[in-house]
Formats: sequence, C-alpha cells, structure tokens
Amino acid sequence: MEKFSQLFADIVKLWSKYGVSHYLPGIRNTLVLALVATAIGCVIGFVCGVLNTIPYTKKDPLVKRFFLKLIRVVVRVYVEVFRGTPMVLQAVFVYYGLPYFTDNVVKFSSIWAAAILVVSINTGAYMAESVRGGIISIDPGQTEGAKAIGMTHVQTMLNVILPQALRNIMPQIGNNFIINVKDTSVMFIIGFPDFFSAHRAAVGASYLYFPSATVEMAGYLTMTLIASFLLRWVEKKLDGDSSYELVQVDPLTMTAGTYSHPDRGTPFDEQSKEYRGRVQQGLKHGRTRGER
Amino acid sequence: MGEMILQINHLSKSFGSNLVLRDIDFTVEKGDVTSIIGASGSGKSTLLRCINLLETPTSGEILYHGENVAGRGVNAAAYRSHVGMVFQSFNLFNNMTVLENCIVGQVKVLKKNREDARKRAMNYLEKVGMAPYINAKPRQISGGQKQRVAIARALAMDPEVLLFDEPTSALDPEMVGEVLNVMQALAQEGMTMLVVTHEMAFARDVSSHVVYMNQGVICEQGSPEEVFGNPQRQETRDFLSRFRSN
Repeated sequence: MEKFSQLFADIVKLWSKYGVSHYLPGIRNTLVLALVATAIGCVIGFVCGVLNTIPYTKKDPLVKRFFLKLIRVVVRVYVEVFRGTPMVLQAVFVYYGLPYFTDNVVKFSSIWAAAILVVSINTGAYMAESVRGGIISIDPGQTEGAKAIGMTHVQTMLNVILPQALRNIMPQIGNNFIINVKDTSVMFIIGFPDFFSAHRAAVGASYLYFPSATVEMAGYLTMTLIASFLLRWVEKKLDGDSSYELVQVDPLTMTAGTYSHPDRGTPFDEQSKEYRGRVQQGLKHGRTRGER
Repeated sequence: MGEMILQINHLSKSFGSNLVLRDIDFTVEKGDVTSIIGASGSGKSTLLRCINLLETPTSGEILYHGENVAGRGVNAAAYRSHVGMVFQSFNLFNNMTVLENCIVGQVKVLKKNREDARKRAMNYLEKVGMAPYINAKPRQISGGQKQRVAIARALAMDPEVLLFDEPTSALDPEMVGEVLNVMQALAQEGMTMLVVTHEMAFARDVSSHVVYMNQGVICEQGSPEEVFGNPQRQETRDFLSRFRSN
C-alpha cells in the first residue's frame, strides 16, 4: 500500500513538472503522426492494391503486358523490403541515408517530414497486401455486373469494388492505426518528439523510471482504447441502416407500365395488400429478409 | 425482316484444350426474342458471355451493326453499354441501394445528369414492380426482387439488346413467375432479347426464335413451332422428351 501511495506521489510530481511541457505535446504529436501516416499509408496501399489487380490477358499488346508485369514486380519489391525490415532501422536509413547519398542536397528540413515519410511507407507496405486481399475477396460477379453496364476498369474500381473492399478492410485499417499509435515510439531514434520521447526526457532529469513508464502505459492504452472504440463506431456507420423504408406508390401501377383494374388481380403477389402489410409488420419489428 | 443488330460468324471458344463452342453462326435482328436452350454444359452461357465480351472468343467474329467487336483494339466498355446483361446470380452492386444501382451506370457511363437518371431509373423500377423498394440494399430483398431490379438496371442503360443468362435458375420456384412475367412484358413491348433458359414454356410461348445447343454446337434452330412441334434432329427430340415427361 505504501508503495502505491509513493508511486502515486511520484506520478503527480512527474506530471506537474513535465505534463504540459512534455507528456501532453507528446500525446498530441503521436496521435497526429499516427493519423496522418495511416491516412497516407492507406492511399499508398490503395494505389498499390489497384495497380496490382489490373487484369490483363494474352490478347493485350506486349507493351501493356510488360508495364503491368513491371508494376507488379515493383510493388512486390516495395512490399517485401518495407515489411521485412524494422521500422526503427528504416527511420535511420531514410533520415541519414538521403543526405549521405546526395551530399546534403536532399535532407529533411523538418523532423516531421521524415517521420511521416517513414511511417507512411511502412504502413503502405502492409496496406498494399490488405487492399489486394480486400479486392480479391469481392465476388467476381460484382466486376461482371459493372462491366456489363459498360463501366471501365477505373470506374468499376471506384464505384463498385473499392467501396466494398474498404468496408472489408476497415478492421485492417484500424489495426494499422493502433499499431502506428504504438510503433511511432521508435521515431525517438531520429529525435521525433512523440509521447515516448517525453518519457526519455522526463526520466533523464528525474530518474523516476517506473512512475514515468506507468504514465506512458496508461497514456498509450487510453489512446488505443479510444481509437478502437471510434473505429467500431465508424464501421457501424459504414454498414448503414439494417432496415429500410418502403416508398408508397400508386397501388394501381402494374408491371411493364400497364395499369390494371383493382379487381382483375395483380401480376405480383407483393403488390397485394396482405403482402405489403406483412412486410411492413416485419419492418416494424426491425426484421428484414436477408439481414445479416 | 428487321434491322440486323448482332451477327455471329464462326465463333469458337476453348478453355485450354477444352473446346466449349464450335463454329457458332447465328444472327439477332431488332425485335427478336431468341431463346437458347440445351443441357447444362452445352455452351449456352459461354456463348452469351462471349457475345458480351466477358469471355474472349478464341476465333470468329461478332458483328455489331456490321462492326467486328471480337478483334483487338475494340472499346469493350463502350460496346457493352449498348448490350445489357442480366445474370443468373443477379450481380447487383452490394454497396448501393436499389435506386442507386439503376442510376450509377447512367451517370458514370452515359454521363447523364443525376435528376434525369433518377427519373429514368424510377420509371423502370415501377415497370418491374420494385418502386416501393428503392431504398433497400440488395441484401435486404429476395432473389426474385433482386432479379427484377437487375432487369431495371439493364433497361435503364437503354440497351439495344438484352442478354439473359439463366435469369430464373437461382430462384425459388414461387419467384420464377414474377421474373418471367417481367420478361414476357418486355418481349411484348418489342425489346430485342437473347435468353439462355431452362424454362421451356417461356422458350415455346414467348420467344420468336429458338436455338437448341448441344455439346458446343448449334444443333437446331428455328421458330418455336418448328423446334418444339417438329424437331428434325434426334438430339433435339431426346432433349425435349425429357422435359415433356415431367
């Protein structure tokens, strides 16, 4: 008990000294970096995923086939390299590598640019595979339906496939965001002022390692818990309503635009009064056919 | 007779070494309702998919108003926007409502403005009796309803010819009727249709032309009276007798 009260006192001490100057800006920087890098990473992933799934047949001209093959190889190399090396190393490699190679012509004026670049391309490498999986998991019938009404590959992708793929990979995007919230902590290696670097600054002066680590643990956990809660909410929003409103129409309107006399019977049973009543009854209870 | 829309010359299709279609010749004129019948695996669906370029023919020509669309360098998307298709598995866009399904093609492909597209979509959805359901998602409606929406979606594109790939095969028996009713109404309005079907009554009573396919070749074709009333080939007789007995 004594230990706990001491821990609490130390945390209060740390927070009053470093809270506003280090911990809070650290939290903000971590969240901004994770958010921006995940967003850019998703864009990279989507572009790679789409480029990777452009179909080609043996009938296409050789040039087109060559370029599509080339694109696939390039994306593959990118994915394997950035998925297969630690992000902490990638940060060092990019941050010091570019000035080294270009004799300081190209260097990062801002630590933010370097951090966003590294985390984005890292996320993009993971997302490329997720997006590819999301795209190939969509029923080929969807593509055929779109093609059959004359859509081009790009139109099919933008209007039909990607919205569905996006819904399917939402959990993956959320996963990547949460991973980024935590893993941006390795950016301290190039001096990025994130939440974890606040810990390093605080303990460097106060030597309160364990209390500061407790603050960090609680902080990271709070961030990721809020993130996963928000992601669930977004997913629900994306799914839309589970029921729908029937639109009243002229009950005498019949199929094929013909008008039928009420007592002559109807071509479709759905148009009959009892059926509509049944459907509306079902809707009232929030139950619809084929509801997941 | 009417204006020639499609002319298929010596069309062949093979998957690897498996020859699915052999030297198919036939024509579709404006206003024709052609039923393609035959046993499963006889190449009916493949023929229809070749006509819509969803499969690439191995050899032969598909002339659309005299222009070969089966060759290289053809804008397949532009051609497909004139040829509607209704699938066995509906293939409605799952991310859109019923109404949105019928609008998207008009806006994106035909570049119509949204309001016109909406009116047109509503018109056809009313025609197939699906106007009350415009706000539903495809997963919320039944198979027969989905297929009627799919027909409305194809019609909204103002196609010159409508291809039906076994439109009732995935439906419960009680839902087959509602879809066939819509198709029959379309046929009576003069829509040019090419229907792959197992519904012999539809082929006999509604179509103007019947094609019987067997093992990748057109075995016999003619008017429904000729093919159903007086089949010339033994294969056709065998096939039809299997339907008569039940």
